[in-house]
Parts: sequence; structure tokens; C-alpha cells
Amino acid sequence: MKLLVTGVSHKTAPVEVRESLAFREETLPDALADLKSREGVHEAVILSTCNRVEITVTTDDSTDPQSIVDTFLADHKRVARERISAHLYHAEGRDAIHHLFRVAASLDSMVVGEPQILGQLKNAYGAAKNAGCLFGWLDGLITRSFSVAKRVRSETGIGQMAVSVSYAAVELARKIFGSLSGRTILIVGAGKMSELAARHLRRSGASHVFVTNRTHERAVEMAALFQGTPVEYSRFHGMLPEMDIVITSSGAPEYVLRKEEMQRAIAARRNKPMFVIDIAVPRNVEPSVNQIDNIFLYDIDDLQEVVNANLRERMKEAEHAEQLVAEEVDRMMARLKIAEVTPVIVGLQDQLEQIRCGEIEKVKRKYGPFTPEQEEALEVLTRGIINKIAHGPISEIRNHAGHPEGAHVIAAIRKAFRVQE
Amino acid sequence: MAEMSVIWLRVAAALYSLGLLHAILTLVRRRENLFRVALAALTLGAVFHFVSIVEEGLATNLCPINNFYETLSMGAFLIVLVFLGVHWRYKMESLSVFVFPLVFIMAMVATMGNPVSTWTNQVVRKTWLTVHIVLVLLGIAALLLTAGASVLYLFQERELKQKKPHALYYRLPALGTLDDLISKAMGIGFVLMTLAVIAASTWAFIEHGTRWITQPSIAISFFTWGTYLALVFLRTTAGWRGRKAAIMTISVLCLSALTWAAHVRFGVIVKP
Repeated sequence: MKLLVTGVSHKTAPVEVRESLAFREETLPDALADLKSREGVHEAVILSTCNRVEITVTTDDSTDPQSIVDTFLADHKRVARERISAHLYHAEGRDAIHHLFRVAASLDSMVVGEPQILGQLKNAYGAAKNAGCLFGWLDGLITRSFSVAKRVRSETGIGQMAVSVSYAAVELARKIFGSLSGRTILIVGAGKMSELAARHLRRSGASHVFVTNRTHERAVEMAALFQGTPVEYSRFHGMLPEMDIVITSSGAPEYVLRKEEMQRAIAARRNKPMFVIDIAVPRNVEPSVNQIDNIFLYDIDDLQEVVNANLRERMKEAEHAEQLVAEEVDRMMARLKIAEVTPVIVGLQDQLEQIRCGEIEKVKRKYGPFTPEQEEALEVLTRGIINKIAHGPISEIRNHAGHPEGAHVIAAIRKAFRVQE
Repeated sequence: MAEMSVIWLRVAAALYSLGLLHAILTLVRRRENLFRVALAALTLGAVFHFVSIVEEGLATNLCPINNFYETLSMGAFLIVLVFLGVHWRYKMESLSVFVFPLVFIMAMVATMGNPVSTWTNQVVRKTWLTVHIVLVLLGIAALLLTAGASVLYLFQERELKQKKPHALYYRLPALGTLDDLISKAMGIGFVLMTLAVIAASTWAFIEHGTRWITQPSIAISFFTWGTYLALVFLRTTAGWRGRKAAIMTISVLCLSALTWAAHVRFGVIVKP
């Protein structure tokens, strides 16, 4: 049996090539059915996302899986072979397993560690399963890749650091307050970015959102999005001591929050920490506010710097994840090798068992009948003998499984014991 | 001190102990349910305290500030009066966390001006001392935890202020988590230390009569406890966090180590 993974990804192909090969969700069942119906194909999966189009197939040993996939693509996508060939990657056998595990673990993603790819792979698996294209070995391999992805996520920090500015704000809020439950948010200036940040914070447990804007109607509209409270622009300064998180994104040309005012606010809060996110350009909060103890001020560049640091940290974690994936591939290959020689082992055991049963019958005819005790003694004795005889060759078969010279050893054992194909 | 004066003072100290209980509950459970009861007990205690001072004044025909114990009693009474006045005017409940334990400890020590018969049962004596030592050790453990968490708080705070996350940022707990740990460990540590001071004072009083108060190690102990009280007060009222709180916590820890050293070095000077 052969395993092949071939396709294009953000690393190998520009978007115009990727989109020309992409399969829409509604066309996937027919495409899968067609691929499965091709001669020599056992199982097949098609993963089609915005960053990747990938076809995985298992075929007979006598079939060339690459030519099957090439023909399949030519039939389904009206794209010249020479246009895509430079962008296609191929992996077979062990490399294909390694690739599948890396994709599932999000090590091959554009943003390493992003969680969506696993969901997309699960959808592709579901579609292939529904189309009757997954039922055997490849089914087991894809399922195994989910476990590998889970292991990578739980044993490394690959998915823990925020890689978008709005999530970075949530992550920072968590680093400051621990839990966001019960925290209050004040949005100064009803912009899109502040809305996004507030939405993430609200989802993470922040209890109440207050919105203020120079145009009060806009504040009312935005407050309604979060079941929050609109606040008159002239009144919001007085509310600062009660706010844990302040997000500013107003278009004011001058600072709307100054150091002295924030000093008074933090004193009134009895030094309880305050997180100020200034995503306005020009900035709304005087930068020296960050010098005040227990106030943490982040502007848009600071948040981007956190995102960059997180990405660097993810890459460090990815090294650890690569080791885990390599370990899992070795484990999978060891299982495969054992699976390959299992029929030989079973054949050897059957052959010896037949010899044993035949010899017992002869003895029974010549010296029988035996008492039940005598029969039991015969059984135990002969079974013990064949187990002892089989132990050596079975160990040799297992040890040589998957090794290049192993085929000769296994063939010799097969011949010596007259094990049939 | 006159016999009756001491009795009235003991009654006052017993009433002040409700204030200590209120402070303990506030620190450990962060609830202030007992404040009204403690305030009433403090007011009533102040009446008995006043009677004690008058009794002492009448007995000696002098203003009762002639020795350490009388002065301490007078000091505690004045603090109670000032607190009641301030509370009546400004309703400053948070001050009680500082004032109630202080007044109780002062009044309790003031009642120890007259020697009592020494230990009749050696088992009780040893057990009392063991309880004191265990309380001190547990208190120091809580203080160490507070200091450790305070240092981690400083590191994490610096990471957040510098806005360029390094390895520590990812590995250290959130500031809020550390702050919670500091508050709890500090509150429990203070309660343990206060109980240890009460146990030690009564033990030393019974053991050494009135001379116990002259030991340098005792003075250092009370100073350490007073600093701890100030730390707890500043944390609960002014919300001291970060650098200030860490420095003060480490100072209290150093003072505790000094107190221990003083007990080892000077603890044997005064023998009955």
C-alpha cells in the first residue's frame, strides 16, 4: 500500500494558484467519490482551506498515486499542469505521515499554532468519511493526527500566546488582573478597533461596558452592542476610579487623559491596578501615565510589540512541537512495521498449529483412546514445544521489520517454515 | 498597679479582644460583619478602661503615668478616644484594622504590671511555649510566602511596564493572582504573629514577672509586630502594592529574622 500527500499551500503557491485548485464545500462529496472510484485508490481525503489545498490518498502498491492525483486534478480543475507543477509539493510514506502530523499540529500554518487548521482538518475528515472514502488505515492515520495535534497543544505553549492586537489586549488584561470576571471597561471613542477589543474582553468575562463618545448617539449605539451603559462625554472623567480597563480610540487631536488626572483616579481606586489601552492615532493618553504605579498604559505600537514577542515565543515552542511530532512519526512507523509483518507471524503460527494438530491426531489413532488427563497433558506438551520453536523466528521477524535487509530474513523464515503468501 | 485598676483593665482588654477578632476576620475573610459589635465593645471597654485609670490615679494620688505599664494603659486609652472621635466625625472603619489590634495588645501588656504566681504545671508551661513557637514558625512561613510573591509581583510588574515581554512574562502568574496570594498570606501571617505575640507575652509575664518587658528581644518583637501591623494597615487601606509593599514585606521579614536572632542571643539573659 502506498501513501501520498500532494497539494499547494501558502508556502509553495500564491493565492491565485491556491484559489484555482480549491474545492468548495458543496463540490467536495462528488470530488471525493470520483477520486475514490479511480483504479487502485483505497482511501482519500481532500483538505481545502484558504491557505492550503491538499489531497491525501492510499493506493495499491502497483499503482502510481501521483499520476492518479494529477489526472484527478486535471479532470476537476481547468488548470494547466505546467502552471501548478512548480507549486505542488509531494510526500510519500514516512514523509507524508510527518507532513500530516505537522499540518494538524499547526506547525505548517501561516500563523504557527493557530487553532483553526485542526477544525478544518476535522471537517475534511468528516466529509471524506461521509463520502465513504475513509474506512481503514488512512482513517486511523488522520484520527491519529488529531491526537498528535492535541498532544502538541497541551504539552507546548504553541497556542497560548495572542497573535492579534485585539487578543493581545485580552491577554495583557489577564496578566494584570488574573481573572477578568467582574472587571469594568470604559470605552472612550466609539471606533471599530475599540469595539473589537471590548468584544474580546467582554467574552473573556469582563462584567460591564461603559461607552462614551463626543457624539452621544454613537455611544448609545455601541453600548447597545454590549448591553452596556452610555455615558455623557462630559461625565466620563468622574467615572475613571471605578474602571478597571479603559480603551481610548477617540479622534481628539489632543490628550483626553492626562497624568495628573490619572494619578487622582488611581489614588481614588486605592492603587488597584488599571489597564489603559490607547489605540487612537494621534494618541489619546499622555504617555507619562505609564510612569504611575499600578497603571499599565499600552498604545497600538506596544500591543504590536507584544504580538511580535508572542510570535517569537511561539517559534520557540514550535521547536519543541517539532520534536513531539517526530516522536509521534517514529511511533507510527514502528506500528506500521509491526503491522506489515503481522500476516507472516500469523501464517507461521498457523503452520505450526497445523503440524501440531496433525501429529496429535496420528498419535491418537496409533495409541488412543486417551483419558482426559492424558489428552490435556498432550495439549500442554505440544503447545509448549511449538511456542518455544516459534519464539525465535517471530522475534527475528519483528526485529527485522522495516529494515532493508529484513525482507531477506523474513523470506528465509517463510521458506524454512513453508509459510504461504 | 492597684489591684482593682488591673481588674478593670483586664475587663477592658477582654472587650478590646472583640476588636482584634474583627481585624482578624477582616484580614482573613475580607468581611467586616463584626465591626459594629467590635465598636460597641471598644466603647464599653473604654468606659472600663477609664475606670481603671481613675482607680489607679486615686490609689497613687498621681496621674497614672508613673511606670511603663501605666503609661501604656494611658496611651491605649487615648488611642481609643482619638479613634472614637475620628470615627464619629469621619466614619473611618478601615482605620479599625490598625487601631483595634494595637489597642488590644497595648491594653493586654498593660495588665501585666503586677506579677502573678508562676507556672504550677510544667506540662502547661511547655505546651504554652510550644504553641508560641509553632505560631511564630507558621507566621514566618506565611511571611516568606508573602515576600516571595511580592518579589514575583515586582518582576511581573516590571515586565508589564516595560512592554517588551521576556521569558518571565510568560512564566510568571498574573499580577492579580499574585496580589491575591500576597493579601491572603499577609493576612494569615499577621493573625498567626499576633496570636504568637499574645502567647509569648503571657508566657513571659508568668515566667519572669514584670521584668520580661525589659528584655531587648521583647522590644524587638513588639517593634516587628508593629511594623507588620503598619504593613497590613497600609495594604488594606491605601492599597500598597508593587515596590512599596515588597520593600516593606521584606523589611518585616528581616525584622522577624532579627527578632529570632535576638531571642537566640538575648533570650537567656533574664532568668527567674
